Amino acid sequence: MSERVKKGGSTKPVLSKDEESVLSSEPGLGNEGLTAGGIKRRDFLKIIGVIGGTAAVTGGCSSEPVEKIIPYVIPPDDVIPGVSSYYATTCTECPAGCGIVVENRDGRAIKIEGNPENPINAGKTCARGQAVLQGLYNPDRTRSPLGRNSSGELQAIGWEAAEKALIEKIGEVRKQGKGNRIVFLTYNVSGTFDKLIKEWLNALGGGKHVTYETFAYEPLQEANKISFGTDRIPTYDIEKTKYLLSFGADFLETWISPTEYARKYSDAYTYEKGRVMGKFVQVEPRLSLTGANADEWVPIKPGTEGFLALGIANLISSSGGVANPANLGNYTPDRVSEITGVPEETIRRIAKEFTESKPSLAIGGGVANTGTNATDTLVAINMLNSVAGNVGETVDFGRSFTLSKATPFREIKSLVDSMANGEVELLLIHNVNPAFTLPKSLGFEEALGKVPFVVSFSSFVDETTRLANLVLPDHTTLESWGDFIPKQGIYGLIQPAMRPVFDTKSTGDVILSVSKNLEGLKDQFNQGTFYDYLRDSWKEVHEQFGSGKDFETFWFEAVQRGGVFRKDQPSAQAQISGSDVALSEPKFEGEGDMYFMAYPSYRYYDGRGANKPWLQELPDALTQVVWDSWAEIHPDTAEKLGVEEGDFVLIESPYGKIETQALVYKGIRPDTVAVLIGLGHDSYGRYAEGRGVNPIDILPPVVDEKSGGFAWLSTKVKVSKTGESARLVKAQHTQTQDGRNVARAVTLNELQSGVHHEEGHELHEIPGHEYGVYKPHEHIKYRWGMSIDLSKCIGCGACVVACYAENNVAVVGKEQVAKGRVMSWIRIDRYFEENAKGGLEARFMPMLCQHCDNAPCEPVCPVYATYHNYEGLNAMVYNRCVGTRYCSNNCSYKVRRFNWFTYKWPEPLNWQLNPDVTVRSKGVMEKCTFNIQRINHARRRAQEEGRDLKDGEVTPACAQACPTDAIVFGDLKNPESRVSRLAKSERGYGVLAELNTKPAITYLKKVKRDEA
Amino acid sequence: MNHETTITYSRVNHDIIRMLDKPGAKWWILFVLDLGVLAFGLFCFLYQVYTGLGVAGYSHPVFWAVYITNFVFWVGIAHSGTLISAILFLFRARFRLSIYRIAEAMTVFAVFTAGLFPIIHLGRPWNFYWLFPYPNQRELWINFKSPLIWDVFAVSTYLTVSSVFFFVGMIPDIAAIRDRVKETPRKIMYSILSLGWKGSDWEWSHYTRAYLYFAAFATPLVISVHSVVSWDFAMANVPGWHTTIFPPYFVAGAIFSGLGLVITLTVPIRKIFHLEEYITVANFEGMAKLIMLTSAIVTYAYLVEPLMAWYSGSPYEWGQFVYRANGEYAFFYWTMIFCNSIVPLVLWFKKIRTNINALFIISIFINIGMWFERFNIIVISLSHEFIPSSFGLYRVSWVELGITAGSFAWFFMFFLIFIKTLPAISIAELKEILPIPTKEAKTQ
Repeated sequence: MSERVKKGGSTKPVLSKDEESVLSSEPGLGNEGLTAGGIKRRDFLKIIGVIGGTAAVTGGCSSEPVEKIIPYVIPPDDVIPGVSSYYATTCTECPAGCGIVVENRDGRAIKIEGNPENPINAGKTCARGQAVLQGLYNPDRTRSPLGRNSSGELQAIGWEAAEKALIEKIGEVRKQGKGNRIVFLTYNVSGTFDKLIKEWLNALGGGKHVTYETFAYEPLQEANKISFGTDRIPTYDIEKTKYLLSFGADFLETWISPTEYARKYSDAYTYEKGRVMGKFVQVEPRLSLTGANADEWVPIKPGTEGFLALGIANLISSSGGVANPANLGNYTPDRVSEITGVPEETIRRIAKEFTESKPSLAIGGGVANTGTNATDTLVAINMLNSVAGNVGETVDFGRSFTLSKATPFREIKSLVDSMANGEVELLLIHNVNPAFTLPKSLGFEEALGKVPFVVSFSSFVDETTRLANLVLPDHTTLESWGDFIPKQGIYGLIQPAMRPVFDTKSTGDVILSVSKNLEGLKDQFNQGTFYDYLRDSWKEVHEQFGSGKDFETFWFEAVQRGGVFRKDQPSAQAQISGSDVALSEPKFEGEGDMYFMAYPSYRYYDGRGANKPWLQELPDALTQVVWDSWAEIHPDTAEKLGVEEGDFVLIESPYGKIETQALVYKGIRPDTVAVLIGLGHDSYGRYAEGRGVNPIDILPPVVDEKSGGFAWLSTKVKVSKTGESARLVKAQHTQTQDGRNVARAVTLNELQSGVHHEEGHELHEIPGHEYGVYKPHEHIKYRWGMSIDLSKCIGCGACVVACYAENNVAVVGKEQVAKGRVMSWIRIDRYFEENAKGGLEARFMPMLCQHCDNAPCEPVCPVYATYHNYEGLNAMVYNRCVGTRYCSNNCSYKVRRFNWFTYKWPEPLNWQLNPDVTVRSKGVMEKCTFNIQRINHARRRAQEEGRDLKDGEVTPACAQACPTDAIVFGDLKNPESRVSRLAKSERGYGVLAELNTKPAITYLKKVKRDEA
Repeated sequence: MNHETTITYSRVNHDIIRMLDKPGAKWWILFVLDLGVLAFGLFCFLYQVYTGLGVAGYSHPVFWAVYITNFVFWVGIAHSGTLISAILFLFRARFRLSIYRIAEAMTVFAVFTAGLFPIIHLGRPWNFYWLFPYPNQRELWINFKSPLIWDVFAVSTYLTVSSVFFFVGMIPDIAAIRDRVKETPRKIMYSILSLGWKGSDWEWSHYTRAYLYFAAFATPLVISVHSVVSWDFAMANVPGWHTTIFPPYFVAGAIFSGLGLVITLTVPIRKIFHLEEYITVANFEGMAKLIMLTSAIVTYAYLVEPLMAWYSGSPYEWGQFVYRANGEYAFFYWTMIFCNSIVPLVLWFKKIRTNINALFIISIFINIGMWFERFNIIVISLSHEFIPSSFGLYRVSWVELGITAGSFAWFFMFFLIFIKTLPAISIAELKEILPIPTKEAKTQ
């Protein structure tokens, strides 16, 4: 369908004319347009014709796909068909700045993996990082510049006309001498783009660059300023700690740098033999995914975290802690208990544990928990660290985050005011969506209406862009040049992983080319493209870190490795300076009786993930909800309100109301109701629009008193039942294990005292298995197997999305998920358990094909479409499958997926499809293959080199992505391989091994604490 | 039976062949209505093939549902025909005589219907022939370990044998019709079908031997086919399926449901064609007694299954039975118990089992109950297997209902044609029990 044009040694798949027409007429079917729903008139007539007996029955069944094959006449130099190239670049989905490697096959980016060179994520990714590709290939991207036509609608215009419009506008503003009334609003761009914008605005007459981050950390900065005299955001070395007390920091989801912290968490707080397993306590009103991974969840009254911190500090200092600041004595356990709602006994116990397990660390400041006293709270937490003697060991200001450079919220507020007052002549907006992420009460949209000319560089027509006068769509990160400096010592480079998909242009290039036509700017901005500008700018980096290499070598290496990462970045440990304690009570707006918590979602972040179907279909780990919002309500409260799961509830604050379905469960305090941030778009493409609600809409424009940061948790709301009800669409409807010991756990004491009964061994054989009628399978050279450590799995879903990307797994949409027709090959089962103290314990269990040695699915297939191969894989032959579905019925693990329809990938989402994996059509079964394509690839390479495969040479997408290394893959025949050793672990067991399925996956039991 | 006074050879010929008279308006209305429903069923099927199996109500993990229920239901129905004609023939049970032809026809048409469902339920029905072992250049073969392959053989063997048996039994009767029919096309048809039957002693002697042989040959099939069908489930490891009681339980259930449908069909035919003298109350009572027996066997199975599940100590098995009685599908489970175990108990009263109207109503209950039995076994078991995260609920879709209705229409289409083309009661066998015509008889 697409022809390839050779140009400048690179290839670019170009949309042909008829494809364009397909693209523009893509119908917005219900169920996300992903399934072949409904029946067209023609097809209806076809079927009727068949009934009439006029045609053969087959007439309506099969139609051959039309394919045009266009060969290369002159093959491009750098493309070998079927061989991938890999480009290291940097992810910009959140400010963490993880390094990624993009696989490019035949000119198209098809897969993202973490960049192992980058010390932030060390080769791992989160679910959002995996889904970057669906931003690149999003069918609702802005395909060309848009301008307002005579009737005021946005309409496609050419680049020439678009740039001309911008030049004219800038010229006009400058002529009036209002060059200082130009505002450039971006996210927290760091590095060269930041420099270009600042220089450019200066040259234009002193405009203002505002960097807006939805989730900024002003209270943390302010608190650090008070306590340590620096307003930076440090790196917390939680991997060095043994006791972690987190006051609402959701560091496994969105807090500062989640992939980095997930790895660090795994290094210290999961079980490994011969290492002390740290204890992790999470204090927050609503159980976050991070909290669900904690050893203990302390549901605290919203806004009172600081009191608890000081209460603990008081206990520690009175029992001989380090310093003893004034008036700590006021925070007696009984008073603190009364304020926070945390039992006195718990406070005393935590205080004891916090001093006993060294080094310990208290962190705090999750977005959702940020109230009007956020700075005070964080100062109190710093105080706690200081009293416990933690300061100076585990808080590293030497590797602080550049996120602290984001414009404070109070300046965003004043920007909105100046916009409203007509003090902004020209507003340039780059990749931020304040119309969605700022509370409605701030009046951003109205203020935007007062700005004479608004230019958006967004790749999508989001809520802000649709109000713009001119849209100059930027490339997405995967198509651009640039750099990103997330923290000190890390200079991430951004390079294009493929030629642009659409007629977009890098904003840096736009600035440079516009400057060529602006008076007086020609000489200053003489670089041809942003790429040249970037190189020039990197000469400074070269001077610093070039270590004697010439620039070309340095540049080449940096581009190749995805940036420059300083391993020897000096650490600068914090030293406490202030010791005042002045804790204020949290303030709440609204008359309601429930605290309202709008919390950031690890799937959508600030809403930018909502247009990616993979993230929409990834079930929320704790609630299992997909494609929609929900309101979390405690069962006791639900009973009072007469609400059951699926009932619509109305949440009213003084600033508005939202209506969404209730989800009743114990993961929240009875006095709190919570709704996730990210959904509720009314303009962001087909996957995001009209889905769920945006809780930010009803938040008041209240700030944290000391830092001026936005106070997310500052509202009290009224919650009432509307009377409407619908089934809440979830991927898993059950809550518990139903008494079945599937996701097992063992206590630390049992393990350490040797009481624990070991049950796992390599093949999970049961007594008497040798009496089978058939001979056991022979595994000639390798037997592939896996181990999954339940102690390490945090339920983040990175593996699930990675699997979607690697294996062309179809997204089916909400309607189909409601029928249980999710196609994911790996899913995260979630079971709630009551722990000894009646608390809620969540167990996450990645479940995928177990590649059983004695697979129940194999003998029942009448046509050998599924069979056992010589490497222990339970193979699946799509072509041979007739679709009896018997294999799935007989699968004890329920991991087989059936293609109920031929699922669609709207153009150009299908460009992402992995050419090594068959795209399945309707009527066939599919399931996890252990990435047989990767195994084959590695085996061929080994054969070419005349050797055997080495351990670790094959890594399936799930294991590759897993930020905590919970999944390990390898050869079970090799006794030295990592997976073989793990399979013999004392914690190992086979799920449902008593059925004699002999699964190739060994699960390692979760390790619990006895006291928790 | 005491026919001496009323029924004669000539009356038999007349009464039975009278049924084959040109169909009247009522028949045509029924036939057209039936074809209408069938056309809708066919539309549903083609829509499903075109769009994908997703238009049916399947949900994870319930991957078999109404179609396989229908399959087992119709295979079950197909049982009693052969049972009544072959086994009861061997046992010389006289009450079979007047009803066995209807039962045999029902058998053949039910197998026709049952055979459709394994194809309808396939994800890619156009490849259904891959389930047959045929030589091909791709050197692909079928998996003889799979119970579905056994099904293919069992059902196709059963179809062949029951059709041949059905046909062989009719040869003398067809010859009798041939001799009475006047219009040429029908005459040609019956001439071909009667295979040149002349009614000679030589022919009769071979014929009776052959019939006995077929009866003996068909008898084990009655047991084997439904045993094999039950293995579709019993061989799988699904809790609620994986049990050794299934083969006898299924065979008894099949006879039970087959007898139910025989009564449902015979009562109206008897009334419409005024066959009260041929199909007597005693015939019905015989069937009713067999229903009592099979109902008791089925009920026993209903009790033993949960007992074994409990005794096994397997949480999965026991969980399954608690779920059946107590879960989302409890209504279907208790409907089944009511229809199959409670309702047939009234047959212990002779007054009821000799009351044709009461029998008709009871037979409807049995049909419903037995359909739900299969639904329960298939759907409830699949809804509640091993992994607690993957418990699911199934909701039927209009496409499945349309195809199910269509399958009934398909069955009745054959039946309506049969009633008007072939003798619904065996003329030859009836005559065997009548007094040989004498002059006195003739003058009467």
